[in-house]
Amino acid sequence: MIKKFFDWLKQPLGLIAAGIVFLAVFSAFAYWLYTTQQAPAQPVPGFPHKTHVAFGIQCLYCHPGASKGPAAGIPSQSKCWGCHNQIVKTRDSALLAPLKDAVLNGESLVWVPVAIVPDFVQFNHRAHIAAGKNCEDCHGDVSQMGIYQNPQVFNMGWCLNCHVETAGEDQELLIKLSDCGTCHY
Amino acid sequence: MIRPEEIKMSEEETGKWGMVINQDLCTGCQACVAACAMENNISFVGEVDSGYGRSMHWIRIERFWEGEYPEVKMTPQQPMLCQQCGHANCEPVCPAYATVHSQAEKLNLQVYNRCVGTRYCANNCPYQVRAFNWRDYKRPEPLPNQLNPDVTVRRMGVMEKCTFCIQRIHKAQDVAKSEGREVYDGEFTTACAQACPANAIVFGRVDHPESLVSQLARKGHGIKHLEELGTYPQITYFKEG
Repeated sequence: MIKKFFDWLKQPLGLIAAGIVFLAVFSAFAYWLYTTQQAPAQPVPGFPHKTHVAFGIQCLYCHPGASKGPAAGIPSQSKCWGCHNQIVKTRDSALLAPLKDAVLNGESLVWVPVAIVPDFVQFNHRAHIAAGKNCEDCHGDVSQMGIYQNPQVFNMGWCLNCHVETAGEDQELLIKLSDCGTCHY
Repeated sequence: MIRPEEIKMSEEETGKWGMVINQDLCTGCQACVAACAMENNISFVGEVDSGYGRSMHWIRIERFWEGEYPEVKMTPQQPMLCQQCGHANCEPVCPAYATVHSQAEKLNLQVYNRCVGTRYCANNCPYQVRAFNWRDYKRPEPLPNQLNPDVTVRRMGVMEKCTFCIQRIHKAQDVAKSEGREVYDGEFTTACAQACPANAIVFGRVDHPESLVSQLARKGHGIKHLEELGTYPQITYFKEG
């Protein structure tokens, strides 16, 4: 039975069939790999960061936690609606229907965090802002983005490079910034 | 980068954070054990694995019996936790550099994402205070809601131990820095010291001579456990006076 199958595969028709199967599996894998590299779907599809930045809204207006504590925070729908409610064009826009529904029904918009670190990394925004880092140093040029996408992979080598550069010749700061316990506990 | 050969380990080097435990005040109520488990997301092992000696606590209350029956006498309760040794026996044996000495905070660190679970450090610890995650112990709902977000939730195959609540140290330092001052003595404390109803555990800076721990450590005849091994423990114990 198996020998018959292999004999059939060796014919031209069998080779073509094997090629088609291989291509199908390969392209399915390639598509799966592609989907893992895409920004996740957000509750408001196509949320335009660039429009908000173009209106002159500061990062810290919507993400105020960045200067105060570990998490920058994602604005509540009441903060969004506070502005959008007063602009006729956005109040009745179909694009903002998810926001309007959430506000009227008293539900929350569940945004999907994109700039994340693993659980074993303890990151604090405040210390980085206080050290003079700007948002775009890590998060890229958000003024050109729609839905946020990480400009680079947030891994330890990338973090540590900046820590060592920041410390420079200051040995005490270098000990603090290259200490395992500064981020992992 | 700091290379291992550049790290100076002089004998008289003092630690940064330390503790004083008064065994005369300790009633053995286990409040510190419970507080530690809550603060540091310690798994609930259950009775089956505990029977195999796999219970996970970062602090435990030890007690011993003296004399022969019927003349037995119990020794004072003795809270035992990681002594944050200056010369820690666990550190040089780790093949993955997962347990390293923090040069900034002078603590023994356990880096969970580096740990590969050889358990060599636990076998080498003379105080037997390290706990190994033998399984991924499930937390039934709604217990995951009480997890401390500042502490990593450890997974199976990872060693863990007392960190002197390093998340509280970092938080206090962060608050102090944002207000442009130093961390003052008693501004924060570890979960075990905070929970202790008898104030038997006192935590603070041992390198500041005027801090409460330093003053208490100077008073009387405190002992450091297994000091003869040259581990330079950071916890001073007092009993009987």
